[in-house]
Amino acid sequence: MVESALPLQGLKVLDVSSFIAAPAAAVVLGDWGADVIKVEGPDGDPNRRIMTDSANYPKAAVNYPWEMDSRNKRSIVLDLKKPEARAALDRLLKWADIMIVNFPPLVREKLKLSYEDVKPVNPRLIYASLTGYGESGPDRDRPGFDATAYFARSGLLDAQRYEGGPPGVPGPAQGDRATAMALVSSILMALIHRMKTGEGAWVGTSLLGNGLWSCGVIAQAALANAYLPHRPPPDRPRSALGNIYHTSDDRWLQLTIVREDKMWPPLAAAIGRPELVNDPRFAEITERRRNSADLAAIFSEAFASNTYAHWVKALAAGGITFGVISRPQDVPHDEQAVACGAVVDTAIPELPRTLSNPIRLSFAEQRKAHPAPRLGQHSEEILREVGLEPREIAALKSTGAVK
Amino acid sequence: MSELLPLAGLLVLDISTFIAAPAAAVALADYGADVIKIEAPGEGDPHRHNYKRAATYPRSDSNFPLQLDGRLKRSLALDLKKPEARPVLEKLIRRADIMIVNFPPPARERLRLRWEDIEPLNPRLVYCSLTGYGETGPDRDRPGFDVTAYFGRSGILDSARYEGGPPGISLPAQGDRATAMTLVAAILLGLRHRDQTGKGCWVGTSLYANGAWANGTTLAGAAIGGRLVTREPPDKPKNALTNLYRTGDDRWLQLLVVRDDRLWSTFCAVIGRRDLETDPRFTDREERKRRARELHAEIAPVFASKTYAEWEGVLSKTGIPFGVIGRAVDVVDDEQARHAGIFAETTNPEVPRTVNNPIRLGFAKPRVSGIPAAVGQHNEEVLRELGHSDAEIAALKKAGALG
Repeated sequence: MVESALPLQGLKVLDVSSFIAAPAAAVVLGDWGADVIKVEGPDGDPNRRIMTDSANYPKAAVNYPWEMDSRNKRSIVLDLKKPEARAALDRLLKWADIMIVNFPPLVREKLKLSYEDVKPVNPRLIYASLTGYGESGPDRDRPGFDATAYFARSGLLDAQRYEGGPPGVPGPAQGDRATAMALVSSILMALIHRMKTGEGAWVGTSLLGNGLWSCGVIAQAALANAYLPHRPPPDRPRSALGNIYHTSDDRWLQLTIVREDKMWPPLAAAIGRPELVNDPRFAEITERRRNSADLAAIFSEAFASNTYAHWVKALAAGGITFGVISRPQDVPHDEQAVACGAVVDTAIPELPRTLSNPIRLSFAEQRKAHPAPRLGQHSEEILREVGLEPREIAALKSTGAVK
Repeated sequence: MSELLPLAGLLVLDISTFIAAPAAAVALADYGADVIKIEAPGEGDPHRHNYKRAATYPRSDSNFPLQLDGRLKRSLALDLKKPEARPVLEKLIRRADIMIVNFPPPARERLRLRWEDIEPLNPRLVYCSLTGYGETGPDRDRPGFDVTAYFGRSGILDSARYEGGPPGISLPAQGDRATAMTLVAAILLGLRHRDQTGKGCWVGTSLYANGAWANGTTLAGAAIGGRLVTREPPDKPKNALTNLYRTGDDRWLQLLVVRDDRLWSTFCAVIGRRDLETDPRFTDREERKRRARELHAEIAPVFASKTYAEWEGVLSKTGIPFGVIGRAVDVVDDEQARHAGIFAETTNPEVPRTVNNPIRLGFAKPRVSGIPAAVGQHNEEVLRELGHSDAEIAALKKAGALG
């Protein structure tokens, strides 16, 4: 499949960001060939420790989130609060094509790392900024996380609830990773701009903007004063045939029956209740809708009597359509997840497989994931590459500006 | 600023339906591309009717989703099943820079619209395909929707639930629109490849791969045996002071009193329950955690006694941290959303505001959108641009190839 160089080969990226959305965008650029240098403070990106620090993360023996968000990057430790680090950083800025930051604007100004500060050093630089809530406005300096900015503030969590129930539950980094693709797109637009004009540019996106884009239907409807009622809970659905059911092994089945008139008898047979077809309460669509709570109760009892695997087989045998609600542990073993390129092999022995970014190209394949860097693993190598003499590097190290 | 739109001069054929693929075309149009939507004569893209047909859409008299997914496009109503339509389509393909399809592979083959079919016509074309589940594998021909492919199959819905509760809820097109950003990135990488090699290419993505990417942290953990901890429901919290509480007006407040060693007394005073401070059951942090459900039983009725807005007033400036769970109705007037450039004015009186795509560029602003095109509105204009005479246009109409 590979017939030419990776599309971003030769591009140099400084990832001066932390946690997930912005570093994940740098990962995608690296997957497609860019040389990504992660610039970290002396304590490292806190994402190195998130698996143990966050109660919401699955625990494992391998630091999989760090591996995933830092694959194929090199690490240099620069203490940007130390004045001595600045000269080294400027060397890196001159060398780089793209710089990714996610400091809130205030911190950026304090560190003299706003686009205005950096542009004179390298006018061809593409400066990509991720914020929680945008570059200006009352909340611009508020740290944004995907649970708060992408999901809660955008109205997603409120809309994602059952009638009378609590707000929806976002998965760890779910909005961050979706946002990374918008940041990648904005960087690629700037590369086009640079090719046309020779000039660098500021580009960016916000978690709030991405949350609202993803729930664009709800937001656009709200702009037209239209609102979605909360979904009725599974025990009183609008239609028992378009509802979810709990199986005996704590899984859920999504019935998605479109041709209800045709599929009602085989469905009744498949759940072992063929006599329902003759029940006047459920004779036609109108009756079934009117008595949907009664029908849902019958279905619930039936589905709770057997396992998910049993029902998948029984429904398929009856030609009855249903939506698969996979558990996370099912996906890595799903043949289709491999076929669509989502689950790929790595060159990391203790983490043999990972998630690829969702872009597919006929002319190139994503680079295989190699181990994420140790903190400061490449500090010296990188400083030599940008032309620092060994004694300059030693001097930087002695002040603690480089580790 | 707008003359520098990065995609000005590019011709895009949007031969796709529903949301993810058309939304990618919208983002290209927002940044300057000339997008021609090729749709079936008569009804056009079925998505045109979702606002009145889809049970999961908010009800409105105005076609608000079309402002999101149809803006800034020209419409050509061409019946691709009619042989007379083929020469018109081929002429367009020869002129186009980008073509976007979302037919499942068998339909693509039947219509002779696979990349292999198209490449000989225009070897410089960037051909972009969206599928539900990928281009190969057992489920490649399965129609994919975002609720099934992005949310159900990827494990997101199963992850997004409370302990013992039903799966999470996805909002209409939520995964589609996130996927659109990946398509944009894929297309821009294809353009870069073309600039570098002079050759076109196939690029694409699948809803499944995007869902898996969004759920990547959880899946990467699952791949090595890490299991997501299901979140406890709000009435059975592990810590009653970092929990969700329903307010009197059926909204939810995210209480975030992490430092209850310092804030316990303030908290009791602020919510008007000074008695709790001396309650022997809750004297220290350990006790409060151990008796989280008892504490919840005391606090929940208090929060239920006032509206969300009243609580915002009560809690603000007390130092008691809480998270905002926004509603769509609030977000549209959120000052911060305005600063983040999330909404845009349109020149369509019926839908005066719309949601911007999340990409922000320092050198260009997204185009202002007007009234989305009616089915076939630009038939004659486009055909004349292709050099068709009035007689030829009339003949195409007569044959039913042009709607």
